[in-house]
Parts: sequence; C-alpha cells; structure tokens
Amino acid sequence: MISRRDVIKWGAVAPAIAAGSQAAFAQAPQGLDAFMLDTRYVDSLPTEHAGIPAICFAGDVTKPWFDTLDPAWRQRGYVLGGITGSDALFVLQSLAQQQGRRVVSQTQLGEKDERGVYPVSWVIAPVHPSVTA
Amino acid sequence: MTTPPGMTDADFADGLGAMRSAVGADWVFDQPADLNTYRDFYSVLWGEPEEKRASAAVAPANVEEVQQVVRIANERQIPIYPISTGRNLGYGGSAPVLSGSVVLDLKRMNRILEVNESNCSCLVEPGVSYFDMYRHLQETGSKLWIDCPDPGWGSLVGNALDSGGGYTAAGYRGHWEAVCGIESVMADGEVLRTGMGALPGSETWQQYRMGLGPCLDGLFRQSSLGVVTKMGFYMFPQPEAYLTGSIDVFRYEDLEELVDLLNELEYGNLFNGMPGIGSPVLSQDNPIAMTMIPPADEMNRMVQETGLAAWRASFTFYGPEKVIRAQWEHVKERHAHFQGVKFNEGDFITLPLSAEDMERIAKPRFGVPSLEIFFVGSRGFGNFNPSDGHIWFSAVIPRSGKGIIEANRVMRRECERLGLDLFMFAPAVTCWTRSFVLFAAVPVYKDPAKNQHLRESVREIIDICAQHGWGEYRCPPAFMDDVMDAYSFGDHKLRRVNEQIKDALDPNGILSAGRYGVWPKHLRDGRGA
Repeated sequence: MISRRDVIKWGAVAPAIAAGSQAAFAQAPQGLDAFMLDTRYVDSLPTEHAGIPAICFAGDVTKPWFDTLDPAWRQRGYVLGGITGSDALFVLQSLAQQQGRRVVSQTQLGEKDERGVYPVSWVIAPVHPSVTA
Repeated sequence: MTTPPGMTDADFADGLGAMRSAVGADWVFDQPADLNTYRDFYSVLWGEPEEKRASAAVAPANVEEVQQVVRIANERQIPIYPISTGRNLGYGGSAPVLSGSVVLDLKRMNRILEVNESNCSCLVEPGVSYFDMYRHLQETGSKLWIDCPDPGWGSLVGNALDSGGGYTAAGYRGHWEAVCGIESVMADGEVLRTGMGALPGSETWQQYRMGLGPCLDGLFRQSSLGVVTKMGFYMFPQPEAYLTGSIDVFRYEDLEELVDLLNELEYGNLFNGMPGIGSPVLSQDNPIAMTMIPPADEMNRMVQETGLAAWRASFTFYGPEKVIRAQWEHVKERHAHFQGVKFNEGDFITLPLSAEDMERIAKPRFGVPSLEIFFVGSRGFGNFNPSDGHIWFSAVIPRSGKGIIEANRVMRRECERLGLDLFMFAPAVTCWTRSFVLFAAVPVYKDPAKNQHLRESVREIIDICAQHGWGEYRCPPAFMDDVMDAYSFGDHKLRRVNEQIKDALDPNGILSAGRYGVWPKHLRDGRGA
C-alpha cells in the first residue's frame, strides 16, 4: 500500500517529470507499482525506474489498460502513479472504480487547452477490502 | 445519509443491515466517497438539488444474493435500481432514475457461463464487459466475434437491455436483436427464464428465441420489471475477409433513389455490414457533423464549386473474398446509371487481423472493443471535453431520402434557434435493422444555468420531433418522461399498458422506478418528484 509520504513525494516530483526532467524521474517514490506517462505531456523517459515499469502511451488508454492495468487490477494491491491528460484520467478513473480503486491524489500541472483538457498527475490506489494488499 | 423517498432513517438502516447480511458488509456502500462513483458524470442536472443520486449501493455476487436483496427490498418497499456496469455515459451512467434508490450493482456477476463455438452463441452474467468477452475469445482461440459499442467498456447485458448498437454485421450490431434467452429475478424474488430456458433440460436456450406463448424478452428491454441475471447472445462467426466501398453521387436530387437502392440491397442480403449515408459537401468542416441541407439549387452549386459529392453511400461486406468482391461488383452495377457516379473501393482486409491491421483499423468494425473514442473526442472536431461530457439525442426517422432531408433541416433549424450546441450530428445511423436513427451529441456542462437551458431546449426538441412523428429510441433519465409522453397514440395507451404490467409484476414498485417513463402506482402522479 502506498504511503501518504509516497503520494506526497509523487506529487512533488511529477511536475518536474512533466517538464522533461529525467533527474526528477529518478527521484520518483518507491511506493508505486507502475508509472503511467502520457507522451502528449511527458517527453520520452526510461521504460523503468528502480524496477518500476513506466507505461507510456499517447492519449488512448485502451492498450495499456487491456494489456497491463486490467490484469493487475484483478489482483490485490497495485498502486499506479500517472502524468496524463485529464481526458485519459477520466477514463482510467471510471475503470478503476469498477475494480475497487480510486484516485487518491491529483494535481493539475498545466492550463486547459481549447478543448478543456489539461495535464494532471495522480495516484490511483486500491481502496476496497477485496483488493487492498 | 440520503434515504429513499418516504422511508425513515431507521427503516432504511434496517434494510441496509439485512442487505449486508445477504451480500457481506464489504459489498454495501453508503459512504459519500463510494456513492460519488454512482453519479451520472454526464448528468444534465449535475450539482443541482434534482440530480439523480443513489442512497446506497449493493453488489451481490450471484443470483441467490440478488434474490435475497430483492426480497429484502420488496418486504420493506426500498426502491432498487439494477445496473450492469453503469458505463452508458450519455444515457444515464450508474445513477438511478429515482433519487434515493439503492443501486443494485451487478459488477461482481462477471462470469462468462458459456461460449458455444458450434452454435455461435454465448451466455453471460451482467457484469461481463465487452473487454472481458474479447479477452476470453482471444485466450481461448475462439473463432467468434462479439459486436461491441464504442467505447467498448460497458456490459453486454446492460448495453443490450438499453438497445445499444455496434458496427459489424446485420443481426449482431443491433444488440437487442442478438439476444437469445434471458434469466431475470422478478420483484417477488422468483427467477424467470424466457424462451427455451423455461424448459428444464433444454439445450436450445441460445438457439430458439421465442419459446412458447407470448415472447417475454421484451418485458426487460428498457424496463423496470426485473433484474436480468443471465443473457444469451448470438455471436458472429469470424468471416474470411472484410471489404468497404463507397459510392458518390453529385446531385441533390439523387438522395431519394440512393436510399431506396441501399434499402433494397440490404434487405435483399446483398451486403451484410453497416451501411452509411453522408454528404461530403456538407461535412467539409467537420466530418462528424453534417450541416443544414440547403435547397437543391444551392447544394448543386456547392457541389460544382467544390467538386465534392452531394451524397455518399457506404457499404461494408463481411464474408469469403470471392463472395464479397462479387457483391461489391453487383452494388456498383446497380448504381452505374447515376449521373457522374464515382466508386471508391476502401479497405480490403483478410481475417483474422494482423498486428499491423490492428493498429490502423476502426476496431469496433471488427468486434474489437476500444476506448480510443475518448481520446479522439477530446482532440477531435469540436470543443468536446469528456470531463463535462455529453448526452445523446437519438430519434428514429423514416428510412428515406425525404426523411433525411426533413429531419436534418428541422433539427438544424431548431437547434440553431434554441442555441443548442451540437458537436456531432448524423441524421442516418444504421446500427439497428431497417432503421435510420438521427444522432446528435449535445455537450453538457457543470454549469447549472447552461444545463437548465440545455434541458429546456432538449424538451422542446423532443416535442418538435414528436410533431413530425420522430421518437427517441433511448434517452437520458432526465428526459424519459418527456420521451414516453411523445409515444401518445390511443391516449398514451403504451404507457398505460406498461403501468398495468408494472402494477401486476411489481406491485410495491421497487424496481427501477421511473425508468423510461413507467412509474409505480405510488409515485405515478408526481413522477418521483
């Protein structure tokens, strides 16, 4: 289970990651099981940090969700940190709720574009007893 | 804690306690953070006192637990509102029609009970999503396809019960049309099976839909009469190949014959995929929003000036290559006499899909669920923000050229007069057999004043459409009473018969009160207000 400290730490480093700092990525917290990085807002980064995989995608969450998140969310645990567009977070949030998970932290990282979409960092963690670690 | 209308806090707490005993305490939700997930995120009443909100949610694991919950609700007259996965955004999501209802969340009932390869059918529980089924088919090496809506995150059962639509072959893409066999827990807690499922030992539940006597499947479509716990579907055997083609014609006057020919060819089984009728010249600025159809001479002048077709009929074929190429040749021959006609052969794809094809195709056309539409929508052709969302306005119009022209003009004119934004407008969607459904996506907001204007405008549009004989096939909860009012033949006999059935099968009025304008007796006068 991610600690409050890890959530705060993720919130602290996420803006720097979104700004393209690979050094910030190296400081990402250990409490996460994976990073989800939307390449519309985050430049390419190493595919993992300290053994924690970074799942990169470009707005459409279908493949990362089907290949990785859905199987992981059927198990207990799995804390996910992300920097994505708010549109992608909306979809992930809806899917997470179905599987006993919730957005426990989110921070807007930039201005809305003309369509109202903005970059956001977030943590989705298990909250229902059936999936908490 | 919100309580259902007319209940004391103590009685409601007692009911929830009994439900906890039935399903386990972890599966009864009554805290604000949990209940927030059962809101309709695209509600046109968002944040207003009238927003439809659940008082609690209960998630049973199996039919027996559903029966227990229904009996508990019936004994105490607690309104309950079954959902499968609650993903039908734009048509109500997870929220009940009657505020204060307990959402009966069937997400845990997610077993694929059977996929029968030789019968090309399946039997599933309501929590099975299109993605679940697709994963199962992939993992088992099945040769069958599902037909999925777009996005494909919802439930097979829920989408079919709502009459949702997809994009593959006729007989499958109208999801209610592909249903074969239903199991439902009735308001008294007993279990009904329709069709051949009523015959113990039958192996034909997913073959012969009608069974004996009145066909009762329809009791459960868009209804408030039962909790569907199993549903059978016909499945599409994977074809050998896929082919698309389109035909451009260049005169305003060609539309009537173009539609007549499309109808004849489809009803004669000369093609089996989803057809389309569009207008390149009227969709120059936005390919998903046809503009107002102008008078004939003006439209013909636009065609001459731009070189774009006045109308485009599109065809999709699934089957053996030899067959579908011959069908496309025949379709072209039948259109050869149109002045200046132009034929466009589109994709030809052999199946199963290669990895390369998978990256470039429109997945729902191949029974592959996707979430891409949220991304396409947000980067798309209008100022569409999914966090504010949209509702669908979807009226059945005559399947004719005249029908398209009249519906386009009336809708465009009236929406402009009312200041009603549309980010998508397609007057002839063909998911459902022998039908054109006019689709308009209306953006919703988190701003009560804007939403009030939206609601008043949509109600006026519903009324205007009804005056032309166009009725919605499906709608968000805020408009269900208005749409049912439009089906007024015989002094609203349709609604009155539905109410008689409701009173007979659910005398305490506990199930899905108000769904599609059918209220239980004790709420009928005020319609849940």
